[in-house]
Amino acid sequence: MAFLWHQISSAVSLIVHGDPYLMGLLWVTVRLALVSTVSALIIGLPLGAALGLGRFRGRRLCQVLANASLALPPVVVGVVLLIFILPQGPLGSLRIEFTLRAMYVAQTILALPYVVALTAAAIQGLPPGVVEQARALGASRIQLGVLALREAKVGVMAAIIAAVTSTISEVGAVIIVGGNVQGQTESLASALLAEFTFTPNDPRETATALILLVLVLLLVGALTVLQQRTGQLRLRFREG
Amino acid sequence: MQTVINEFRVAFPLIWHGDPYLMQIIGFTLQVMLIATSVAAVIGIPIGLALGLGRFRGRQFLRVLANASLGLPPALVGAALFLLWAVPAPLGSLGLLSTRRGVFIAQTILALPYTVALTAAAVEGLPDGLLVQARALGANRLQVALLAMREARVGIMAAVIAAMGTSLSEVAAIAIVGGNIYGYNQTLASATLYEVNAANYPMALAIAMVLLAMILVLMGGFALLQHQSGGLRLRFRTAS
Repeated sequence: MAFLWHQISSAVSLIVHGDPYLMGLLWVTVRLALVSTVSALIIGLPLGAALGLGRFRGRRLCQVLANASLALPPVVVGVVLLIFILPQGPLGSLRIEFTLRAMYVAQTILALPYVVALTAAAIQGLPPGVVEQARALGASRIQLGVLALREAKVGVMAAIIAAVTSTISEVGAVIIVGGNVQGQTESLASALLAEFTFTPNDPRETATALILLVLVLLLVGALTVLQQRTGQLRLRFREG
Repeated sequence: MQTVINEFRVAFPLIWHGDPYLMQIIGFTLQVMLIATSVAAVIGIPIGLALGLGRFRGRQFLRVLANASLGLPPALVGAALFLLWAVPAPLGSLGLLSTRRGVFIAQTILALPYTVALTAAAVEGLPDGLLVQARALGANRLQVALLAMREARVGIMAAVIAAMGTSLSEVAAIAIVGGNIYGYNQTLASATLYEVNAANYPMALAIAMVLLAMILVLMGGFALLQHQSGGLRLRFRTAS
């Protein structure tokens, strides 16, 4: 028990003193979460609204694809993207291999399914009538989309939190395209993966885990409060 | 584009010709998936049933906790287990670090939230009358639970498939506690990471493609299940 206590107390003192290495990891993680969530929202919200409202052909298939892409393994996304951005690859001229930019791209791809699938599901779960009424009153497509997103704002918020949580905890893709360069492309989660095996018993690793834990607790707490406040928004299975 | 095609051209023969290293990884991955999923199902489904059906104090709190644990970053789980299993730590004498058994345990812990939370959600989504009626007719707890399990079987199968999916694609926890040891305790996901680090891109791509194929088979099974049960859907629902 003394070992654990020592690890945790020295980790806490590192955090309190603002260890520059830890602050660097936190900064990379926050930037990664912000940039990739915002890009995923810009691309994903219109797609999710179209999928939730649209009456076009192949909508059902698109929805199945969106749901299926939630299960995309991060390492697969990472390897395929890496092959494209390596210097000799088709996107090699962008020179983004082993940079934060490549991590933004990878994480946006991984966060996108959450935004699209959960937004579409939230819009489909709206009580019938609101959207139909607006349609009957002659609202344009864009007006309809904005209305539906506003009405389904709780579901959309949940989608955003799911996207942020995935950007913070996923590690397989970013570690592959980012190369885990210390002080540049190392995030909290990827630092845990890369450093724990090499420098065990270093309080910096325990401190990294503690910071990540606090971040995740904040996000999950926000989601829980959101669920309680809105009278039980639930992610649930429904037959029929 | 040419280079990407070339990478694939080198990668595919590795799969067709049954590269022994690749076959070994596939075998171990299936072993991890089977062990982790079945243990998580045996422990998690009864807990999920109790959470979904029970009328005890603190049930709501435990439900929130189960849902929240779905958002736990695998890297964090790995770090926590590492600290507990390190030699000077309380469980250090078990000698679980860098072993296959450690990988099985870590992956089981990650699969457990899926079986618990999704089973509870599936049972709660059952139509109200059925279980009330069974209770009124004098069914005991075990009988009610068995009935609920039979009625919610599609949702519970979905929970098991989700657990299988995570044990296939998660990488951080097992890489931290297992040490990602070449040809010993690597799964497809962690081996991909290893090969990328070794700059052996064709092998990384081959492994990633096998992983993707396995996930697609799982998703196909899930789609079939949905189809047969007449549209079971994972969706948000805002109730009153």
